[in-house]
Amino acid sequence: MQFHRAQTLDEALDLLGELGDDALVLAGGTDAVIQYLAGEIAPEAFVHIEGIEDLTTVSLNHRTTLGPLVTHRVLATDEVIGAVHPALAASARTVGGWQTQAVGTIGGNICNASPAADTVPPLLVADAYVTLASRRGRRRLALMDFFLDRRQTVMDPDEMLTAIDLDPLPRGSGEVYLKVGRRGAMEVALVGMAVRIGFAADGTVDSARIALCSVAPTPRRVPDAEKALIGSRLDGGVFDAAGEALRAAACPIDDARASASYRRRTLGGLLERAAIQCREAVTS
Amino acid sequence: MTVNGVAVAFSVNGVAHRLEVGPGETLLRTLRERLRLTGTKDGCVEGECGACTVLVDDRPVDSCILLTAALEGRQVRTVEGLSGDGALGPLQQAFIDHGSVQCGFCTPGFLMTLTALLEENPSPSSFEVREALDGNICRCTGYRQIIEAVAAVTAESTRP
Ligand SMILES: Cc1cc2nc3c(=O)[nH]c(=O)nc-3n(C[C@@H](O)[C@@H](O)[C@H](O)COP(=O)(O)OP(=O)(O)OC[C@H]3O[C@@H](n4cnc5c(N)ncnc54)[C@H](O)[C@@H]3O)c2cc1C
Ligand code: FES
Ligand code: FES
Repeated sequence: MQFHRAQTLDEALDLLGELGDDALVLAGGTDAVIQYLAGEIAPEAFVHIEGIEDLTTVSLNHRTTLGPLVTHRVLATDEVIGAVHPALAASARTVGGWQTQAVGTIGGNICNASPAADTVPPLLVADAYVTLASRRGRRRLALMDFFLDRRQTVMDPDEMLTAIDLDPLPRGSGEVYLKVGRRGAMEVALVGMAVRIGFAADGTVDSARIALCSVAPTPRRVPDAEKALIGSRLDGGVFDAAGEALRAAACPIDDARASASYRRRTLGGLLERAAIQCREAVTS
Repeated sequence: MTVNGVAVAFSVNGVAHRLEVGPGETLLRTLRERLRLTGTKDGCVEGECGACTVLVDDRPVDSCILLTAALEGRQVRTVEGLSGDGALGPLQQAFIDHGSVQCGFCTPGFLMTLTALLEENPSPSSFEVREALDGNICRCTGYRQIIEAVAAVTAESTRP
């Protein structure tokens, strides 16, 4: 195996262009190194990108742009990011411990394409887009269209994720990320749910976005559940209808950590809790 | 498959090293087997327990899942760097005084994470201490004595 250090994006893209299929991008390595040590992956070369300063930046504007090397620790602790992306910050706080957050990156969390990637639901409710670059050019696509299946994405071997852009939380809206795990810390999500709700002045829901992870091979938005909330005041039977839509959208797995039926049953109650918290976040 | 050595220069506890390492060699292995710094422990070797925690540029990281080749230009600190001239650092002494060490296997990792915490925030609340320690597991102490040792050190340093 070879180990290449790229100092600039151009260098990284040249290397990926030459090596293509044989090379694997290495950012913080909290997924890739574990997979390598366990023999799950055997790349001919790592292209180490952690030294590319340009990919660590955060810019806050009418859209927020995050470099792929922004770490979970930065998302979790930066007060400015936390104010406009509270659900994203909350999700980063649930990733492993400090040691994992200190080096693990948002780009790696996305590109690893685990069904349980915690930062993805908050990105989906913020209408995130990803920019992919290669020597052949650049393309920008909705994050929703990036994932094909568990651990599979539309990214070609010579491509790299170079930016993520998303909507900051608008005035009159609230958002939360709730993660169900068995213990407080260091736990893969059994179910992760991000919710962003916009309220009219009279308290009616005028927009709703709901996204889930760990309930299907890829993270996803649930439009039918969103529709069930819009126009309501989060009362009456809305959570029955929305919960039904969530259960229909989820095809969770049975595994050693929880049964599929447990994962499905938690969804309605979780949404109700999340929606109420969104409302409290706005009015407070 | 051919394995190519990678040249890498970084410092450990202030001492500069220039090494040629295997591309898949972890920092934990480099520290323990090449540099004979065996204070850093190998527990789970998959990033879960924190026994292998060291500081890289002042941030706590699990050395068992960090490739040495990725450390070009970085500054690494290990538990060996906490004591000077044979004298224990204040946090190390507090661990002894408060019974925070039983089998001791987790201790170097706890000390490194807490060193990073106290450098960043000299008077953390007990909640902040617990949160900082999410990635460090201790099977013996039940954590209480460890939190008490930190409280003792911070009380010491904030006393007028
Ligand atoms: C103890 C522990 C606990 C964890 N807990 C959680 C958790 O609770 N929730 C969670 O979601 N995750 C968890 N993780 C995984 C989390 O740390 C990673 O998903 C992290 O965000 C990956 O970032 P990285 O920089 O380490 O990626 P790497 O490991 O460097 O890369 C991961 C993958 O993404 C690719 N990649 C990385 N960056 C790019 C890029 N810019 N362009 C193209 N491809 C790229 C790599 O080729 C690789 O395939 C945990 C990990 C550990 C070790
Ligand atoms: S030995 Fe590294 S985290 Fe357990
Ligand atoms: S003292 Fe034994 S594991 Fe912590």
